[in-house]
Amino acid sequence: MSDDRHEPESNDLERRLRAALKPVNPGEGFTAGVMARVAAEPRPARRPRSPAVVSWLAFGLAASVVLAVLLAHEWQVRRIEQGREARRQLIEALRVTDEKLNLAYRVVNSRQDAAPAQHSGA
Amino acid sequence: MKVFFPGWQWLAAPMAALTASVALAAPAAMLSLPDFDALAAKATETVNISLDPALLGLAAGFLDSSNPDDAATKELIAGLKGIYVRNYTFDQDFSYPSAQVDLVRKQLAAPAWQRLVEVNNTKDHTHVQIYVAVDRGVASGLAIIASEPREFTIVNIVGAIDLAKLRRLEGKFGIPKLDLPNGKDGQGK
Repeated sequence: MSDDRHEPESNDLERRLRAALKPVNPGEGFTAGVMARVAAEPRPARRPRSPAVVSWLAFGLAASVVLAVLLAHEWQVRRIEQGREARRQLIEALRVTDEKLNLAYRVVNSRQDAAPAQHSGA
Repeated sequence: MKVFFPGWQWLAAPMAALTASVALAAPAAMLSLPDFDALAAKATETVNISLDPALLGLAAGFLDSSNPDDAATKELIAGLKGIYVRNYTFDQDFSYPSAQVDLVRKQLAAPAWQRLVEVNNTKDHTHVQIYVAVDRGVASGLAIIASEPREFTIVNIVGAIDLAKLRRLEGKFGIPKLDLPNGKDGQGK
């Protein structure tokens, strides 16, 4: 029942909407008029960068490049120093290892040399 | 003088065991070394070297493969994962605090570690222990504890080291030329 009561109102609204949204031919001169207005409007001018800003940008870029090169060089120098130090330590470690193995050998060997002497003396 | 390893043929056994290559070093082969502050405080000269895999790789990068000595060293360390050396030299006879040394010795326990040789010369007050870490039947590390009247040393090598190759470096890089017999020749003597 309630639907029947609201039906005339909705029909009226639909009719008014259809009327309002009815396609309308803009006319032959519409496109030309729009294009003429666009052409007539002044374009926003590009603000030129001041020479100072350009200089600072160039300086900043150059400084960044120089800094990057210096850091890379510093890293390379440190890497070489670390590598040489690691090599030195490696050789030292091998020297100590060899020395202590030899110490063990000498102690054992001295016993071997002493044993025959004791046997011959007996 | 006491020698706990029967005969001097001990050299043959470690040579054979340590020559065996191993792809990966067992973590157990790396010892936790204390600071040895008491020793360092009394030492006239201290060598404290810790070369982990990264530093070993870096050192290897500074070995010239075209140089025979460098190439031999490169080959020697190829299978290693670390070399750790603590060496203290004193200007007079020094009695080492045993607590810190015992901390290391406790780590050198079976089954991960096997004692290859222990030599104790009471006359010279020299005591050397050599241990090898064994992982799945192959050597994966070496430890040396050497006490002398004026010098104390601990060496821990993680990974398989070929002692025969180490011997080939004697007389080079300041590694002293030793009078050890060749492995094969020496075995029969």
